[in-house]
Amino acid sequence: MTGIEIFQTWLIAFFTLALFSFLYKDNPVYKIAEHIFAGLSAGYYVGLIWDTVIIQQLWTPMTVDGRWWLIVPGVMGFLMFTRFWKKITWVSRIPLAFVMGVTAGIFLISQLHGLVLPQMRDTMLPLWNTQGYGQLFLTIIIVVGVISTLIYFYFSKEHTGALGVTAKVGIWFIMISFGAHFGYTVMGRVSLLIGRVQFLIEDWIGSFT
Amino acid sequence: MVGLAVVIPFIFPADFPISTTPEAQMVFDSVEALPDSSIVMLVFDYYPSTIAECEPMARTALHHFWRKDCRVITLSNIPLGGPSMAENVTREIAPEYDKQYGIDYVNLGYKANYVAVLAGMGNSIESIFPTDNSGTPLSEIPLMDSVVNYEQVSFIFEVADNATADYWVSIVNAQYGVPIACGVTAVSAPKYYAFVASGQFVGLLGGMKGAAEYEQLVGKRGKAVVGMGAQSLVHLLIISLVLIGNIGYFVTGKARKGMSR
Repeated sequence: MTGIEIFQTWLIAFFTLALFSFLYKDNPVYKIAEHIFAGLSAGYYVGLIWDTVIIQQLWTPMTVDGRWWLIVPGVMGFLMFTRFWKKITWVSRIPLAFVMGVTAGIFLISQLHGLVLPQMRDTMLPLWNTQGYGQLFLTIIIVVGVISTLIYFYFSKEHTGALGVTAKVGIWFIMISFGAHFGYTVMGRVSLLIGRVQFLIEDWIGSFT
Repeated sequence: MVGLAVVIPFIFPADFPISTTPEAQMVFDSVEALPDSSIVMLVFDYYPSTIAECEPMARTALHHFWRKDCRVITLSNIPLGGPSMAENVTREIAPEYDKQYGIDYVNLGYKANYVAVLAGMGNSIESIFPTDNSGTPLSEIPLMDSVVNYEQVSFIFEVADNATADYWVSIVNAQYGVPIACGVTAVSAPKYYAFVASGQFVGLLGGMKGAAEYEQLVGKRGKAVVGMGAQSLVHLLIISLVLIGNIGYFVTGKARKGMSR
């Protein structure tokens, strides 16, 4: 390990332990680590956006490549800052309206074409053209699950009789889905702890030897 | 107790069996099926906070790609740490396969507004990333001579801890037809199984378990396989506590009923 790598490892270990110290109680070391993280993140983000957006995609193309028409989106972007002055706050609505329009246009197509329709198509599975009884069983579960869950969220009619029974089946599917999500969430959170412990034992304590 | 269950397996290592799920096998098979020297994208869409789950996936994918002699383009839609993690991982593994920056791999870095970035790269990658992460113009990078847009990219491996994976599906896969495999954190994994079933993802790695499966398939035992010892022990502990809690509840419930009589 080089000197800078050892310093880096110790710095990471210090901040990991500083944040873990909150498990005991709120304390100044934890606060220092928390504030340094917030400040560093904000500074890094501002620097990154300045370089990758303002310089690389606005200033350089305009001044070096002569693409002066980029002044239009540039000015539109700066108009966003008029929100800070009460009298001309309304001006910021112009670029905002542009952003909303473009975003809605892009999202409408991509969400419909890329998410909603393929997922709907994959739910409409043929029961008589499946690969074996195992697949047939899974297909039935998907179809029953989708229909019963949709009926659970149908509130225009009271959930009684056949509708009520189907809605109850829907609740079971929703609960099983929550269970799967919760199980995965536990695994995810434990993984984060494992990652930190792995670093402390293998990298930090390991660097002593 | 959970803390102890996490620490103990690192002091006294124990190997727990790791079974391979069909979704992880699909990721492996998809990369195996790529022609040698294909151009692939490895996307670092995760924050440093989820390194434990995501980095083993990215590392293993890189080993797998370079074993197949693929040329790798890395990029990130995550401002905090994404480009640097891509830089660290690629530069650390490259010497093992004798890969050279600019010829065998390139790090495009980060660009704000991922929806515009993903859509724009379909037209021209250079218009979105005029330079690489270090500021070198793409026109001076030999690897990018033959890459204009997604048409030249054979495969995308998205490693994500957030919803950017949705946009890789809805924009890049749906509109440009590039095959995408995804490695996500355990928290978001259940959502993405539907995308595998519909064929929009060609495979999926879910959390540390998924990463460990992939490490095992590729034959590169890394941090995920090692971490699964602790993961399994904690899961056993939690299951035991849930069982004990429920048995206790029913036993004390009966006792309470008896007292009320």
